[in-house]
Amino acid sequence: MSDEINVDKVMDLKGMPCPMPIVKVSKGIKDVEVGQVIQAISTDPGSLTDFPAWARTSGNEILKTEQTEEEFVFYIKRTA
Amino acid sequence: MEEKLREELIKLFESKLSKPMQMYLETCSRCGICTPACHAYASMPQAKYTPAYRAEVVRRIFKKYFKLQGKIAPALGAAKVLDENTLDELYEAAYSCTGCRRCMVYCPFGIDTQQIMSIAKLLLIGANAEPELLTMLADVSVSKGEGIEDMKESFMQGLKRLEDQVLEKWKMEAGEMEAGETPIPIDVEGADLLYVALAGAHSIIPAAAVFNAAGEKWTLSFFEAVNFGAFVGDPTKTKLILDRIVNEANRLKVKEVCICECGTAFRVMKQMSGSQPFEVSSITDVHAKYIREGKIKLDKSKLNLPVTYHDPCQIARNGGVIDAPRYVLQQLGADYRELSADPKYNWCCGGGGGLVAMGDETHDFRMKSAKVKADQVQQTEAKILATACENCHAQLSDISKHYNMDVEVKYLSSMVADALIQ
Ligand code: SF4
Ligand code: SF4
Repeated sequence: MSDEINVDKVMDLKGMPCPMPIVKVSKGIKDVEVGQVIQAISTDPGSLTDFPAWARTSGNEILKTEQTEEEFVFYIKRTA
Repeated sequence: MEEKLREELIKLFESKLSKPMQMYLETCSRCGICTPACHAYASMPQAKYTPAYRAEVVRRIFKKYFKLQGKIAPALGAAKVLDENTLDELYEAAYSCTGCRRCMVYCPFGIDTQQIMSIAKLLLIGANAEPELLTMLADVSVSKGEGIEDMKESFMQGLKRLEDQVLEKWKMEAGEMEAGETPIPIDVEGADLLYVALAGAHSIIPAAAVFNAAGEKWTLSFFEAVNFGAFVGDPTKTKLILDRIVNEANRLKVKEVCICECGTAFRVMKQMSGSQPFEVSSITDVHAKYIREGKIKLDKSKLNLPVTYHDPCQIARNGGVIDAPRYVLQQLGADYRELSADPKYNWCCGGGGGLVAMGDETHDFRMKSAKVKADQVQQTEAKILATACENCHAQLSDISKHYNMDVEVKYLSSMVADALIQ
């Protein structure tokens, strides 16, 4: 996991088929302030394209993406 | 509502006034035959859930702005001014209709309430009053298509992770594949079949296993099948999402475009892609063909529980795929039970038209309006409820929980993949 990014909210989206992870994150991001960071953990490989596209259209920023054997971890900063 | 916005909305309304649409708006005789045909009304008998009532909300605006009587003496023709209240009524009408078209089969004039609701949806978009979530999903989908060159690498990386699971279902060791063969081929010019999946792994793995087992010359699309533009009723986004698949199919010179288990994707591709050099098929059709031609073999001993099949409205009633799923289930050795005597009249699951994608927001309505569906499934005493649409699968799973049904909801294509034998 990341040492340098301060996470304000963790969203466990494991097991959800796409596009549910971005549906959940688009709601969840409203619970944090602008400038705060969500750590979203998903398992569906479709997330690799869904999250960047969602960030682009919603105006939020993906600070970092990590991949493990089973999971994809996105650090998303609320900027919009 | 500001006059300028009203004028814009009237123009949007006008853009939908094709000949058939005018007929739908001018013909209703209020006979009420369609009333019990709608699952929402049958489950919750309230006037606002009848097809004719929904349509009337749109019809009154039509009378006000496009018919002489409505323009000069609105009270006589029950014409309605387009204002904030009317927008609320349009929202309720459009987003309590799943676009299943069951009412249309009953209507003596063939009035298409789903089409009338497409006007309501367009006006809501024009007024920025449509469900935010559906627009978000449509925008993400459009954006993925526009940025496809930048995303190809991530997409391929994602696919690589699925290869082992494809091999496992295909009953194949990586070393046994022929030279140049790959579990999930992509971007193959000259392939026979382009498979358009959903973004999720569940839509790719079983399908890939079956294509490979059948020896199909196939290639996976870079794009996802689902058309969120169609759910939200945005004609521009619907076309953008559709056209990029059509362009890909033509670039790769495939003979067939096979749509995954997604009702809306299938209907849009089949009915809106125009005349193309390729055929459009559903994955269920393709599986039935493989079995008929002996290209795949299935273990018939696996299904030892009674099975029923929910016909997704957009694939069966509106897409004509009715015999194929029944043939596949028979070939899987199922103790099969029909939900309705004529599949054309099957009840909608209650999740179409974008309602499932709207999630929790629509959950209460979806569950209540699906009472007739739940009863229908329970009467069969089936323990497995198969279907061939992601949207229906999600809704049926919710219904099964809500009504404590003793039934497992399954994708038909996964049942085929799980029964593959060499
Ligand atoms: S299309 Fe389906 S949901 Fe809509 S009014 Fe007709 S029967 Fe009801
Ligand atoms: S069946 Fe057709 S004509 Fe009769 S009320 Fe319904 S929409 Fe109108």
